[in-house]
Amino acid sequence: MAEEFPVVGIDSNALEAVKLLAAGHLPGLIVADQRGRPYAVLPASQVVRFLVPSYVQDDPSLARVIDESLADRVADKLSGATVRKMLPAELPELPVVNHDDTILEIAAIMARLRCPLVVVTKGSQILGAITASRLLELAVAPR
Amino acid sequence: MTVVAVAVFVIAYVLIATERVHKLLAALGGAAVLLALGVTDSEHAFYSPDTGIDWDVIFLLFGMMVIVGVLRRTGVFEFIAIWAAKRAKGSPLRVMILLTLITAIASAFLDNVTTVLLIAPVTLLVCDRLGVDPVPFLIAEVMASNIGGAATLIGDPPNIIIASRSGLTFNDFLLHMAPLVVIELIVFCLVLPRLFKGSFAVDPARVEDVLRLNEREAIEDRSLLIKCGVVLAAVFVGFVGHAALHIEPSIVALLGAGLLVLISGMPTKNYMTSVEWQTLLFFAGLFVMVGALVKTGVIGDLADKVADVTEGHALAAVMLVLFVSAVLSGIVDNIPYVATMSPVVLELSRSIPDPGQADALWWALAIGADFGGNATAVGASANVVVIGLALRAGTPISFWAFTRKGIVITAITIVVAVPYLWLRYFVLS
Repeated sequence: MAEEFPVVGIDSNALEAVKLLAAGHLPGLIVADQRGRPYAVLPASQVVRFLVPSYVQDDPSLARVIDESLADRVADKLSGATVRKMLPAELPELPVVNHDDTILEIAAIMARLRCPLVVVTKGSQILGAITASRLLELAVAPR
Repeated sequence: MTVVAVAVFVIAYVLIATERVHKLLAALGGAAVLLALGVTDSEHAFYSPDTGIDWDVIFLLFGMMVIVGVLRRTGVFEFIAIWAAKRAKGSPLRVMILLTLITAIASAFLDNVTTVLLIAPVTLLVCDRLGVDPVPFLIAEVMASNIGGAATLIGDPPNIIIASRSGLTFNDFLLHMAPLVVIELIVFCLVLPRLFKGSFAVDPARVEDVLRLNEREAIEDRSLLIKCGVVLAAVFVGFVGHAALHIEPSIVALLGAGLLVLISGMPTKNYMTSVEWQTLLFFAGLFVMVGALVKTGVIGDLADKVADVTEGHALAAVMLVLFVSAVLSGIVDNIPYVATMSPVVLELSRSIPDPGQADALWWALAIGADFGGNATAVGASANVVVIGLALRAGTPISFWAFTRKGIVITAITIVVAVPYLWLRYFVLS
């Protein structure tokens, strides 16, 4: 069930990670710690949240007053930043499943954690990931 | 019963001040214990404004919260703040002065917490564009909010409590508090360059970024803006005329809120999210606890002791109330402080024969509590809110970074208030 999925290090370059995310139209990235173990899942929506200034999140009407050329500079925030900085301050529970878990077990975790992908492991080794779209594909596949 | 009432009150107050438990839990828990032990009862707690919940205060706050819930969706505040920042032509000091003045004026008519919630995002945007540290700006604004809120009956919750307990009107606050607030704001603006020395350097290339902000885009629904303007004007007229019309400010606010909801056609959840139910319940719990102290005679005894200390000397009593309020409001939230002190001041004012000097006691309480809220990072709810917003924006304000400036501003504002009270109510009266 698991598909190969890009894994980025916790202290790797944020801009490179976002380019990877954008190029592959991925729903998120698997983040690994220094020992290569799964550390977190970085959803694309969290990256967007990181890029949008907190004042615009608090007062969305301010997004309208900023012109396009200023808005283009939003990505400047990524320069010099690491993947760690893009993660939320309080990490949510890691969405991780075993390689032999059933579709329902995986779906239950995905639904509970509202995460677009889950990490598939065998022991502490990352085998890949299952995305929400992959899960739905399997769920509706003709038997 | 007296010992029980005092013990429950002190424990609840310590819990509120130290934030060991949520303040709402402490206030309602204290009220529940007093009701369960029979120190007070439903008759005193729910039906007497002297010994229980002051519904005028609760519903005035509720009405204003609903009005603000609609008003904040107009974008007018963002429009004014960005317009002002552009008029300052990118000079950080001029931006700071204009934004603090806007905050102070808005705070006179809106709740302080709401005002800083509205001004802080615009400030962060402007500072981001200018490439300057937003911390001095945010600190200056929250202080201006606490100063400006003192100007009117509705500007700061302590004033609402004082007005309800003293019988002082909206116009009384305008005539007695607003002139002092104007003086304080002038002094405050003069002090700003020294208080935040070294915070105003800007790269000239960044100024253009502020000038390119389009404030007109902040206003999405012009018709809502016009409706809000009309209703707010009517509410203001209602506040000014409430004594002559024999309509309590709470009724004016409720009618205004109802009318605005009706004509705006806004979905219920949009404006009801602005109602801070926890704050309203916190007030209710406080009123029951303080009411139990009034009922058991503790407040009366305390007022007698204060009168003994000041030996019936009105000026001494006024200055005592001013200084004690300024110090204590910096340590504990000024809302529970004023809720507790109002019955004491009421008793004390009855011992002063000159009505103007008796009222001066109330003004001293309002000045001390409102301005004292600036002293520390936890002195007023607005301070705590701004510190939270700054943290989220990645520019944290430490307790001492705030308090170092806060003590200076509190000292200055209280020093300015002393000759005002002395001259106006004792020398020139």
